[in-house]
Amino acid sequence: MIVKEWCMYCGECAGVCPRNLIEVREISLNFNEKECKDCQICLQVCPVQALEKRND
Amino acid sequence: MMETDILVIGAGPAGSTAAKHAAIGGANVIVIDKKSEIGTPKRCAEGVSKDGLKKLGIELSPRWIAKEATGVRMVSPNGTAVNLTEDKVKLPEAGYILERKIFDKHMAMDAGRAGAKIMVKTLATGLRREEDQVMVTVENMGEELEIKAKIVIAADGPESRVGRWAGIKTALKPKNMESCAQFEMAGVQMAEPDCIEFHFGSVAPGGYAWIFPKGDDIANVGLGVLTTITDKSAYEHLLEFVESNPATKNAQPVELNIGGDPVGGLLKKMVADNVLVTGDAASMVNPLTGGGIISGMLGGRIAGQVAAQAVADGDYSHKNLKVYEKLCEDELGESFKKYLKAKEYLLSLSDEELDEIAEVFKDSDFETINTAEMVRKLVKISPKALLKLGKLF
Ligand SMILES: Cc1cc2nc3c(=O)[nH]c(=O)nc-3n(C[C@H](O)[C@H](O)[C@H](O)COP(=O)(O)OP(=O)(O)OC[C@H]3O[C@@H](n4cnc5c(N)ncnc54)[C@H](O)[C@@H]3O)c2cc1C
Ligand code: SF4
Ligand code: SF4
Repeated sequence: MIVKEWCMYCGECAGVCPRNLIEVREISLNFNEKECKDCQICLQVCPVQALEKRND
Repeated sequence: MMETDILVIGAGPAGSTAAKHAAIGGANVIVIDKKSEIGTPKRCAEGVSKDGLKKLGIELSPRWIAKEATGVRMVSPNGTAVNLTEDKVKLPEAGYILERKIFDKHMAMDAGRAGAKIMVKTLATGLRREEDQVMVTVENMGEELEIKAKIVIAADGPESRVGRWAGIKTALKPKNMESCAQFEMAGVQMAEPDCIEFHFGSVAPGGYAWIFPKGDDIANVGLGVLTTITDKSAYEHLLEFVESNPATKNAQPVELNIGGDPVGGLLKKMVADNVLVTGDAASMVNPLTGGGIISGMLGGRIAGQVAAQAVADGDYSHKNLKVYEKLCEDELGESFKKYLKAKEYLLSLSDEELDEIAEVFKDSDFETINTAEMVRKLVKISPKALLKLGKLF
């Protein structure tokens, strides 16, 4: 997952990730990408579209 | 390693209230928050009910009350406004507009004065059970620490992960999480500067837009949307709303706030061995209004009391903590069911239907009307109301 610089670390994405893979620090986001199943729920709920799927 | 009876994770209104009441109940309490400044940034429109503060026994202070709101103005999609005064129609979140950056700190200070130890800039990163206690790993200023606790109260807000570490299903479906975006603005020209204002309809699909006055020309202007029924982000909807609304089109933002609001009603399961979940983390938000400050504090108070009692009993098992769920259901769950129904009704209305309803109500004499009568009147205009609200009020 690519986190854009306008992310505000609100944690909304973390609150919906069904696999509990997102951790919000004070000013950074951690993804446990290995376990990510690409359901894209986190992308959908972000109020400012700060997440983008990594294409690799 | 540190040791305590009760570890509260998250120092929002729910966590601080839980910590305060756990300390009053005689337990050793530590509260941690990952933020360096409790309450900042805010993720909130800052409206609370007077009744709610009274019920919680919180002494009012001009330090954290930005403004008193004496009425409610509801605006339909074509701009038709219905004005209500709060003594006629009880709206659960109308009363004061807080300055939450100060209020949240005030509540944390209250917990500190009651005896809780507060650690800021301390992030919880994991939890494991050890015999009949729990070990929580935290990061404080780059250093890893362990805190051993008999009971953990998870008050970590809408981004909640702590409950999930303990096996409680707190992850929400997107249809139960409203995405919110808000500007705090100056230069707002409100039609009724003493009213909190709600805008319904397609301006905010799945939610509503609000203008909450904080001062002469200052207001929180925001909206919540369900991402399941719109392709645009909450922020894009906000820009459109601000531009199209006469009150805000000449105003300037001084702050952008975004965040999630869990609006699906109370979680069913809120306890596990050694763990209680409270506040937004347990979805303690009024599903109709999205207000969660008062309800989170009510839930937090119960969590603190139940946890302190469990420490006194020496029994931190799921079984002994379970009374928490029952008490929360009585305090919040019952009313939330009613609000969920009302929301369902509201969201089922088209822009045209909302305009029609506003047209009928706009000249109503609210001196003689109350919530029950309003619903009766509504049923006459909108047959849907009978189906969805008739039996509730
Ligand atoms: C835009 C918007 C407008 C709103 N408007 C209103 C309103 O007008 N009225 C109203 O009543 N409600 C409103 N709400 C809802 C209200 O803000 C929340 O219900 C309320 O803040 C919930 O309180 P809480 O204590 O449960 O959680 P929060 O206030 O979110 O506090 C959680 C705390 O936990 C901390 N935390 C999280 N994870 C960790 C971790 N791993 N380690 C350490 N600390 C952690 C966070 O830093 C935070 O301080 C609004 C919400 C939004 C998004
Ligand atoms: S929801 Fe969006 S803005 Fe909020 S933390 Fe996640 S990526 Fe950042
Ligand atoms: S895509 Fe799904 S599994 Fe992956 S981080 Fe986002 S919410 Fe979690």
